[in-house]
Amino acid sequence: MCEQPESMGDIDLKTSWLGATTQAGLWGPPMWNIGIDVGGTFTDLFAYNRSTGESRTGKLLTTRPDRSIGVINAIVSAGIEFDRIELLVHGSTTATNSLVERTYPKAALICTRGFRDVIEIGRQRREELFNPYWQRPAPLIERSDRHTVGGRLNASGDEIEPLDEREIRVLAAELRRQGVMSVGICFINSYVNGLHETRAAQILADVHPECFVALSHEVSPKMREHARFSTTTIRTVLLPVMQQYFDYLTSALSSRSFIGTLRILKSNGGMMNVELARNAPEELVESGPAGGVAYAKFLSQRTGYKNIIHTDMGGTTFDASIVEDGEGLITQDYELEWEMPISIPMLDIRSVGTGGGSIAWIDAGGSLRVGPRSAGSTPGPACYGLGGKEPTLTDANLLLGRLNPTLSGKFALDKDAAEGAIRRVADPLGYSPVKAAEAITKICSENMAQAIKLVLLDRGRDPRDFVLASFGGAGALHAMEIARIMNIPEVVLPTYAGVASAFGAVFMPCRHDLQAFFFGELENVDLGAMEKMYQELESRGRELLAKDGVDVARMTFKRSANIRYIGQSFEVLTPIKSDILRQGKRDAIKSAFDHAHKTEHGVCSPTFKAEIVGIGLTATGDFGCPDLQPERMKQHAEVKMASRPIFFDGEWLETPVYEGIQLYDGVVVEGPAIIEYPHSCAVLFPENVGRMSSSGDFVISLEKTA
Amino acid sequence: MKSISETFVRRDTGSMSIDAVTFEVLRNHFEYCCKRMTKILQKTAFSPILSDIMDFSNAVYDADAQLIAQAPACPIHMAAMHFSAEAALKHFPKETLSEGDVIALNDPYEGGTHIPDITFVMPIFWEGEIIGFAMNRGHWQDFGGGAAGGQSFGTHIATEGLRIPPVKIFSKYVINRDVQAIIKSNTRLPEYVDGDIQAHLGALQAAENEFHRAVMRYGVETVRNGMRELLNYTERVCRANISQIPDGVYCAQEFFDTDGVATDDVKINLAMTVDGDRIIVDLTGTDPQVAGAINSPLANTHSAILLALCFFICPDAPANGGFFRTVDIKLPDDCWLNAKWPAPTIGATNVTAAKITAAVWQAIGKAMPEHSVGIPGADTNWFVCTLQGKDASQVDIFSDVPACGWGGTPQHDGNSALFDPTGNCMNLPAEAAEFFFPVMYEEFELREDSAGAGYHRGGLGVRQKIRLLRCGEFSIAIGNTRRASPGMQGGMSPVLQRLVHEQDNGATVKIFGGTDARGEWLRPMQSGYRFLEGDAIVIECTGGGGWGNPMDRPINQVLKDVANGYVSREGARNSYGVVIEADRRTVNEQETERLRANS
Repeated sequence: MCEQPESMGDIDLKTSWLGATTQAGLWGPPMWNIGIDVGGTFTDLFAYNRSTGESRTGKLLTTRPDRSIGVINAIVSAGIEFDRIELLVHGSTTATNSLVERTYPKAALICTRGFRDVIEIGRQRREELFNPYWQRPAPLIERSDRHTVGGRLNASGDEIEPLDEREIRVLAAELRRQGVMSVGICFINSYVNGLHETRAAQILADVHPECFVALSHEVSPKMREHARFSTTTIRTVLLPVMQQYFDYLTSALSSRSFIGTLRILKSNGGMMNVELARNAPEELVESGPAGGVAYAKFLSQRTGYKNIIHTDMGGTTFDASIVEDGEGLITQDYELEWEMPISIPMLDIRSVGTGGGSIAWIDAGGSLRVGPRSAGSTPGPACYGLGGKEPTLTDANLLLGRLNPTLSGKFALDKDAAEGAIRRVADPLGYSPVKAAEAITKICSENMAQAIKLVLLDRGRDPRDFVLASFGGAGALHAMEIARIMNIPEVVLPTYAGVASAFGAVFMPCRHDLQAFFFGELENVDLGAMEKMYQELESRGRELLAKDGVDVARMTFKRSANIRYIGQSFEVLTPIKSDILRQGKRDAIKSAFDHAHKTEHGVCSPTFKAEIVGIGLTATGDFGCPDLQPERMKQHAEVKMASRPIFFDGEWLETPVYEGIQLYDGVVVEGPAIIEYPHSCAVLFPENVGRMSSSGDFVISLEKTA
Repeated sequence: MKSISETFVRRDTGSMSIDAVTFEVLRNHFEYCCKRMTKILQKTAFSPILSDIMDFSNAVYDADAQLIAQAPACPIHMAAMHFSAEAALKHFPKETLSEGDVIALNDPYEGGTHIPDITFVMPIFWEGEIIGFAMNRGHWQDFGGGAAGGQSFGTHIATEGLRIPPVKIFSKYVINRDVQAIIKSNTRLPEYVDGDIQAHLGALQAAENEFHRAVMRYGVETVRNGMRELLNYTERVCRANISQIPDGVYCAQEFFDTDGVATDDVKINLAMTVDGDRIIVDLTGTDPQVAGAINSPLANTHSAILLALCFFICPDAPANGGFFRTVDIKLPDDCWLNAKWPAPTIGATNVTAAKITAAVWQAIGKAMPEHSVGIPGADTNWFVCTLQGKDASQVDIFSDVPACGWGGTPQHDGNSALFDPTGNCMNLPAEAAEFFFPVMYEEFELREDSAGAGYHRGGLGVRQKIRLLRCGEFSIAIGNTRRASPGMQGGMSPVLQRLVHEQDNGATVKIFGGTDARGEWLRPMQSGYRFLEGDAIVIECTGGGGWGNPMDRPINQVLKDVANGYVSREGARNSYGVVIEADRRTVNEQETERLRANS
């Protein structure tokens, strides 16, 4: 039916950089799958042609305030016709930025009488234990925009006091008069019974039909009002923001004859249809790293590494998360700001404030510290020559010879300025500048290892079972040192590390995490009722995936339950095998829970009784993993490019420098060595050894004997 | 492979025996270790007061029981837990201990402070030698005694529950069933005991793993040096900070409303001497030991003073034993803050510690006016409520801690509804309370006009109303019913606290917060206050003290406070001289100008 190009000729699978127009312009059916990640600074693009196998990458500056312009620009610059796009997967920081900067239209909350201040009070805790001047972040919706109404359910969901409908009607009219366009409805105990919230929403819709509405029992049907109200507040303020953003984007696309599918990256490591995203914008917060984690998953399928630590180093922060048996590890404890939880399943990504711009300093106790203050991109590190005077990690890496002083010919770095800045900390310590520089890099590596420690050890995982994958431009400078600190035996440098999120987006599954409140003691819980509830979730999941355009054959469902020992307040997410309920295997559920408890917390007691407090379902639509072959040298050739002295563990070593793109299949590179890529640079320490794998990813072992 | 520790040797080894990198790593390592312990204890505990309220602390110590690191949970435990280790070691000398031993105690006169706080001490071994200790202290809901939670407010420690001297609760990781059985048969809540012990043990074992991880990477000598240097480092930081404070003697007084027996208030007299790089806190002139349950054992008094100073002289460095070296504490022998057996001490960690902290902060405010902050509400408002269970054999006990506000600072208004500096506990969510217990939370909101006025006003306290669906008893000790916390730099005091009993028929009885109908002052310590099914209890908390003259507060900020309902129109007029119209949106500028001119 569709016209296929006759022949693509004898095509060498090609990676073309921005602006290249190799195979574009051929008539034919839509074939391009495009991932676009809009970050704070850059908009990254990765495009893959399913018919020809061709791939393209691009990096442009992010446009503000309307970030959708940058999305269009990136596609235009990559030379791809809009009517040739089959799939566009898009991740954006728009939601996160609008929350952090509090730039969203006036919104309101309607709460149960007596509970106006839940989102302001939080849980009464302070973030900094011993700081008398610490100030709690401002609530997302001010007190004067938070209202209360009569009506009450108890913890069993029974009505104690009917909803005061007249009061809501009056309030709705007032909100309309004030021009409030988005309202969250947050009632106590709605996690058991959403009746009052639903009724309040109907009245609101009668009186003020244009208004967006978020209901807490739909957002997160879980006990403990603070997390649920907080998540609902986040949805409430984002609804109009993301509506406008997607309106701009879809109209810009369709005016350019885009007829493909548009999907959006979610914070759970999957994607969803844009129409679903409009209604659940809280799932877009912190979705940036999701693309990278999908890339790690792709790597795991390609390389056979089952467990991968995904790391990404930027200018101010370093993120770590893990992919285990091909799945990103999920948390339900994420906080946007202090005591501002988003109580939905999200990838467990831990950050530390260490990046290329982190500033080194000497504290009152005479100790060398690095970060969390960062020079950012203005004034930037001293070596950028843009007015920065303070010593940063980038200055340290330059001084040690690890960074190319011309950044591979793109931008000349000022080594004298770097040295001058480093002296500010070297002199008080009695160190030479290079020695101080090395201390700075080591402290940064240690700080970054902390993030890995948090995501692994906090969740009871052993680093030795993992391989570290380094994404982002600067990460590979430190990856080997971090691996050494954490006892991680191998490091992978993926081909598309520079545009990792955009790349991952193209190969991402659709994913919906559904939750329902369900309570029962494991010993006598009605397994049939539980099975029925799972089936209801499955049919909802099926519906959502169908909206995403997923074929039934490609849908998979994974069940889980939140279980705890009777008496505990917190649950452990326990996988539930799909046939276990029908077979009535209570013991198998219990032992799965004991095992999960032991993994998370190091202890378990098979003799304690357990109870179920909620069930979950992950509905996934996987589109498979294409056989993508990145460009690289096919034949053995002399790849050594140059050499320069690099400072390693107290001494200067003349170190070979390789160009990453020239490394051929199976080539072995012994440390010490530097490998330079267009957007990044890797350091191999003297004891390391690297090898180019057949998948095109460079794998470095910690020790040569390994 | 060369380890990092071999790479750098400082030239001026006089000041530090390990290199800068290893030092930084170990500092992070011990902090992480305590965080990991916190997470395990919270997530696995059975008592809601541990899991939902987080009334516990985790810490690691060196082989001499000097505090190395503590996790951000309850500061009042910070400088009291090493007394537990000392008491434990007195009973079980180091040479008698083995790997997997855990010593438990709660005796206020042997390493403890008040009976609900039980401490677990685990020695950590490496190749047969003790290299440090892991400890945690958790506030358990009940150890028996004359009223639930130990809140019997008697005149003898025996009324407050089971007193556990240092006992070996685990020997080589095996639990001592006798001790376990004694605890279980002396509490109203035996069902929590096994699970809570597991939670404490899980956290201690995590610390043990983390110590071992550090030793395997750096070697035991480096870890030992690292701990020593951490102490020295913090000491240096603190001494540098103290040196910034002008030398002098700074005095302050605080009062607790009553000891629950007599009607007089009870005085703290504090003189803080800053002398170069050290501080001496002298409590001479403080009232003698009292009959009632607010006496504070030495460990608790030390801890309260140190935690209060920590905010100003050790806010960034790890709060550890190095900081303790910079402060000397002088206590009179006969003193309610130096309690001796058999004085009851149940109020020590909450009401008493909060008042000691307030006294220290007042003295700090005099020493460093430009860094002063309004005094927080200085109360934890910890109550214990017993409800008759669904059947006669069952009793439900729950606690909550509705918070006061904090004081205004030179930079901004005080935080509202924030736990007292002595702890960092969470409230009990209404939905968790209603799920677990036969209660209805009808209100948990900020209390209008509760903050002390100021150029930067204090934060607001909470107003909490709980309907009790079964009959039972209510026990609480609070202060701030005679006088509230002072403001600073011209800032005002907040409102007083109140507790009201609302009967099923709507009639209200003031339990305390001033005088009763006959004009008699109501003592704000109530044990076993009876209520009937369907009654409600209303707690109205105080706010924080203001900072700076409220008449100088920008008018638009006062207006905003009124629009937000933090301050009433009357409050705006009386405390700030700002007249706001009934729409709560418009300022009467003429009238405001007149009021402010006359102030």
